[in-house]
Amino acid sequence: MPVYDRSNVFARILRGEAPSTRVYEDEFALAFRNIHPRTPIHVVVVPKGEYVSHADFSASAPPELIVGFWRAVGRTAAALGLEQRGYRIITNHGSDANQVVFHFHVHILGGRQMGSVSGPPGPGDGT
Amino acid sequence: MSTTPAYDRNNIFARILRGELPCRKVYEDEFALAFHDIHPLAPVHVLVIPKGEYVSQADFCAKAPPELVVGFWRAAAKVAHDLGLDPEGYRMVANHGPNGGQLVFHFHVHIFGGRAMSHRMGNMPRPDGAHESRKGDRQA
Repeated sequence: MPVYDRSNVFARILRGEAPSTRVYEDEFALAFRNIHPRTPIHVVVVPKGEYVSHADFSASAPPELIVGFWRAVGRTAAALGLEQRGYRIITNHGSDANQVVFHFHVHILGGRQMGSVSGPPGPGDGT
Repeated sequence: MSTTPAYDRNNIFARILRGELPCRKVYEDEFALAFHDIHPLAPVHVLVIPKGEYVSQADFCAKAPPELVVGFWRAAAKVAHDLGLDPEGYRMVANHGPNGGQLVFHFHVHIFGGRAMSHRMGNMPRPDGAHESRKGDRQA
């Protein structure tokens, strides 16, 4: 696991040094639009703390931050109006999953039908 | 109007939790149970479910007590670690509602590992590996 780099882009967004389009914020988390959206709605949620990945966050973050962060993910999806039609959340850990920014983050994807688990991919999945 | 269904105690994961249906168990503690998906979409495909009646990620995040939220996510990370996925990496996915493609209405997290995952995060992995990038093949 890489050492946390305080100059990663999400750290800079959290410090207000890099711009973002914010959609939700509380004491535990910040949510903002992905600048390269993969789906019509694509938001990234980051915890307010220095954690490289899901594994790091789950092992090292204090319980109140873990709870606050995941509740913020749910609140962000609700704030985006995604609860009724549905959404997908994804977190990538490490190289196999193509984690690109090493500040733990969760993607919220919505706005269209995602590929299903066992059925055929949905419209727009680019099969 | 909410499209979130009421919790159905006869859903397949509830029945697995009660021991009424078999599973290939990977991990269990007081907060969560993890088992192999019977239709794996990647070389490693495990499901992690909380021990509680929650329909979805939204339901779980809003209603589960703090100790269960923490216990569940720590269990999920431990499962990935115990499966040996930490060094190469893994993807966790939770689907909520119709657009997410959620099929079983007991909140669950998929852990995918064992090969490089696609950049197309709107897709679930495919058993034949189509859409998946090869090791070291970084798509634009």
